[in-house]
Amino acid sequence: MTVDEGPEALLELARRVVERARAGEQVEAFALRKVETEVEALRGEVDALSSAETRGVGVRVIVEGRQGYASTAVVNEVGLGEALTEARSNAVVATPDDANRLPTSQAPAEVGELVDSRLLDTPVEEKIRLALELERVATDDPRVRGVDIAKYGDVYVRAALASTEGLALTAARTDAWAFVMPLASDHDETQTGLGVTIGRSADELDVEAAGREGAQRAVRLLGATKPDSRRTAVVFDPYATASFLGVLARTLSAEAVLKGRSLFADRLGDQVAGEDLTLLDDGLLADGPATAPFDGEGVPQHTTALIQGGTLRSFLHNTWSALRFGEGASSTGNASRGSFTSSPGIAPTNLYLEPGPLDPARVLATAGEAVYVQDVAGLHSGANPISGDFSVGVTGLAVRGGELAEPFREATVASTIVELLRAITVVGDDLRFLPFHGALGGSTVLVAEMSVSGR
Amino acid sequence: MSLLQERLDEPLIREVLQTALSGGADFAELYAEHRRGRSLRLEDRRIEELTSSLDIGAGIRVSRGATTAYAYTNVLDRGALLEAARVAAAGARGPAGREVADLTRPQRRVEHPVRIDPFEADKQRLVELATRADTAARDLSADVRQVVATHLDATTDVLIANSEGRLVDDRRTRTRFAVQVIAARDGVVQTGFDGPGATAGHELFDAHPPEDVAGRAAGQAVAMLDSRPAPSGEMPVVLWRGDGGVLFHEACGHGLEADIVAKEASVYAGKRGERIGSDLLSGVDDATVQNGWGSFAFDDEGTPAQRTVLFDAGVLTDYMTDRKSSRRLGLTATGNGRRQSYAHLPIPRMTNSYILPGSGDPEEVIAGLDHGVLCKGLGGGQVNPATGDFVFGMTEAYLVEGGEVRHALRGANLVGNGPETLRRIDAVCSDFAQKQGICGKDGQGAPVAFGTPTLRIARITVGGTA
Repeated sequence: MTVDEGPEALLELARRVVERARAGEQVEAFALRKVETEVEALRGEVDALSSAETRGVGVRVIVEGRQGYASTAVVNEVGLGEALTEARSNAVVATPDDANRLPTSQAPAEVGELVDSRLLDTPVEEKIRLALELERVATDDPRVRGVDIAKYGDVYVRAALASTEGLALTAARTDAWAFVMPLASDHDETQTGLGVTIGRSADELDVEAAGREGAQRAVRLLGATKPDSRRTAVVFDPYATASFLGVLARTLSAEAVLKGRSLFADRLGDQVAGEDLTLLDDGLLADGPATAPFDGEGVPQHTTALIQGGTLRSFLHNTWSALRFGEGASSTGNASRGSFTSSPGIAPTNLYLEPGPLDPARVLATAGEAVYVQDVAGLHSGANPISGDFSVGVTGLAVRGGELAEPFREATVASTIVELLRAITVVGDDLRFLPFHGALGGSTVLVAEMSVSGR
Repeated sequence: MSLLQERLDEPLIREVLQTALSGGADFAELYAEHRRGRSLRLEDRRIEELTSSLDIGAGIRVSRGATTAYAYTNVLDRGALLEAARVAAAGARGPAGREVADLTRPQRRVEHPVRIDPFEADKQRLVELATRADTAARDLSADVRQVVATHLDATTDVLIANSEGRLVDDRRTRTRFAVQVIAARDGVVQTGFDGPGATAGHELFDAHPPEDVAGRAAGQAVAMLDSRPAPSGEMPVVLWRGDGGVLFHEACGHGLEADIVAKEASVYAGKRGERIGSDLLSGVDDATVQNGWGSFAFDDEGTPAQRTVLFDAGVLTDYMTDRKSSRRLGLTATGNGRRQSYAHLPIPRMTNSYILPGSGDPEEVIAGLDHGVLCKGLGGGQVNPATGDFVFGMTEAYLVEGGEVRHALRGANLVGNGPETLRRIDAVCSDFAQKQGICGKDGQGAPVAFGTPTLRIARITVGGTA
């Protein structure tokens, strides 16, 4: 991995754009530099090794409430100049909106060190070893005949933000992850599972545990049949819970609320879930994958209780949505930036249900008779964020006498988001974050009753 | 001359490829890209934002045996390219020896001409197109509450050269216009969507005026306001022309992509030449469809575009391959090697995948249905390629009883298994329609089209909420 060319170099790039602002213009420049490595193992060999270094700048211009945006990967005087000119001319055709304003400069939050310098010194040979070891452990079980994918990845990112409102911020982070999807087989039947490990550096990954977890999840589905249709208690495993939180997050974005795309519009202060349920968006969580000192437009990240004791307390805001919302709303530090190519949107940081005291075994014991869902399919197409209706495919195991029993597949679960939230009776203590779809944290969760349809 | 050709002359291309081979690789490739794009979004009767992007970069791929190494950069000068070539070379080491072959350009078999260059249209024109869609949708019904119109256009120049002597450049201009409509009445909220696209310029709007696109989206949303909860259980389902394509794409097409086959992670692995589907089923993947949304002249490895027969009268005839998977399986490259950008390795992807029309009559097929579902819209779905199990949300569906189309149904999924569903196709009609979308695989998006005639599946699970 290449050594950082210095935090000041990227910030200097952003400053150079902002210096060219004309009177009456708000200008923001967001510069990003990424160094990435990925290794994919297949059949004991390196299938693919990829390494990259990229950078780019996104420019936002606001004139009299009209906002324009342009990005460029050509990071020189010519490229930056063209991006500013293009953003200006894009602003001309936009509809004015008083809420289009750049945030004023604020001190970034204290979040500790997000760069694990060990990653910068990790040789590629070690990354290869981790990918190969992940595949080896995942295929140890004789019923596992191979992997669909076994992959290691890491990234070093530095972002810099400068604006005409006095912002001059820069921050860096490292992330590493590995995941495997083993293929378990018995005669003509094949089942897959997922095993994941994440950390700040390669040193923090536990590929043995991820490999074993993936294999176990695949193998235990062998022999799955279609279950009988019935109303039953349902236990979601941490992965399934995290998938549902992804759908919930979309409905809690203030942008969705303002645009009439959320079932939670006009429901602040209402009881929307059981009295014990608390949903947090914690941008400052120690070791959270989305923890950062400031968000995608330079506002300090916060800890926000979205649902507290079952009551809807807040939506996720960036600067635009808070101004548009009025009623004393302020940015919750949830301006998101997928890359330098897009202007800030709204996304959760570390989103999770506040864990309860029970471990997963005791959640199952509490459930007694239930179905245990370890995989949810079709959630993004099968859930309507406006009505809250969803119908999704689920795969997992029966729960009998408080223990996992025979597997099932090709079942569907239908309900509404609000009914689901109200029916959650237990949140387990096994909170973990997944590297997919942002930073969604899941725990083992017991839902009192849902309708499962199969045969 | 494109910017890429200016920056990458033949001597530099050869130097980069030779450097990439220097570690002992048996294959090296340079993929360079220059992309200019715009996107406009209208929502709430407002032009929210117009965004422009300029991206440029190159990736160097080397392989030795089964191992591939890749390095990419978005600094396109000699120093950065040679550095990337050295990084890639170090990832696939062996005894050195290969030389770069003489570079020659393969013949261009298909063109996707652009009549109206998007970048000649001024920005005010984009505003006008979106505004026309907004007005048309709201004029259709007082129940229309929200309209989101998005316009995307982009021109991508690619240059691909490899150590075997292939040198290709291609320009792909794509335009897409999509409208999402939200309608509400008495507390019921429904959405509708239409989003035509083409590998073409703004002549897209000759075939698809914004008013038509908006009308289709609004019509769907409004029709669904009268919907009732769908039933659950196994029953016959008629997939109306066009929308069945997404099911074919997801539940069957992905399993025929050769990387998944080579990993034996596909339910269709080892079944070439076998009867998989009903004998009414014939399907192709065709990148040569002129101006098709998923079309190109050369794939992202420089292989010429082609039409590949996937199913012939129910028999699985071919997989879709890229260079790597074709070698692994001992097949020819079918020109399905695609990548989202220079930041991605090519993988086998569909282009325009179609089920071919048969001889049935759609009206008769519905008239012959005693109790079942007519599906006129499918949302995205999810498939497990290893098992073939799939789930799709129906965005527009109707109950059929005694051969008559009754009320609309909401909140229902189709749940089934790919090969089983293909076997259960018992009617294929003579009509045909297609839709366009962005397909996601391994974190890469690719423009794909999917099309079908009207089809009947004898039995499939409908997962409703009634």
